[in-house]
Amino acid sequence: MNSIEQGNNSNSSENRSSKLIAVINSRAPYSSTSGKDALDVALIFGSYEQEVSLFFHGDGVFQLIEKQNSMLIQLKDYLKTFSAFEFYDIEKIYVCQKSLQNRCLTDKNFHIDNAVVLNTKAFNEKLHQHNIFFRF
Amino acid sequence: MPSLAIMVTTPPFSNLTVTAIDYIKAAIAADIEIIGVFFYQDGVMNANNLISIVSDEYQAIEQWQKLHAEHNINLHLCYTAAEKRGMSDEIETMSIDESFILSGLGELVELSSQADRVVQL
Repeated sequence: MNSIEQGNNSNSSENRSSKLIAVINSRAPYSSTSGKDALDVALIFGSYEQEVSLFFHGDGVFQLIEKQNSMLIQLKDYLKTFSAFEFYDIEKIYVCQKSLQNRCLTDKNFHIDNAVVLNTKAFNEKLHQHNIFFRF
Repeated sequence: MPSLAIMVTTPPFSNLTVTAIDYIKAAIAADIEIIGVFFYQDGVMNANNLISIVSDEYQAIEQWQKLHAEHNINLHLCYTAAEKRGMSDEIETMSIDESFILSGLGELVELSSQADRVVQL
């Protein structure tokens, strides 16, 4: 994937394009609406059959941790929608290992099972394969 | 002519919005086609014509109006984000400036597939 050449073959108004979309989650789930806003963006690209990958780093990794009860603070549990990713063809989910380690977290406590934990180098390389980035 | 789509997520009173507007002006000056600006999260507040910012501060909405009028730039709002912030296009409660268009996230997909590059500010 050559990011320099992105878009050269997508001048039509069709919704199809060869671009890879990265939605980057860097905020904890319930202190702001960022996580939900990122989810909505990922789902809309998925429903238009665009290739979209999800990245979690920094406090964003907290969105993957199971057994969170958002109802205690009167917030809707948007994290349960993560289990619907496969219906939107969102299969590429990458997690920064260092962000997990820094927060004493492991993938054993994830509430989805298809997230791939990558070291910093592999995480960066994966990001670089994408053409468009949305960061929340 | 290279093309660019922009996503703005910051409110009109944020200096990051000034950066976004300066960035767009620089792109226009460099002959880059701006195929659209998509306003998401607090970015939709840029279209709220009931927001009053004291006159000696930066008037973001005037800049957006100018960009739309002089360069015909499409300014798309995320409908859901706008409604969540009390903005409506119903006549009685009109608070969305006429330079802006109410769209959905689908428009972001459309812009992303058309533009050579997408930049989030």
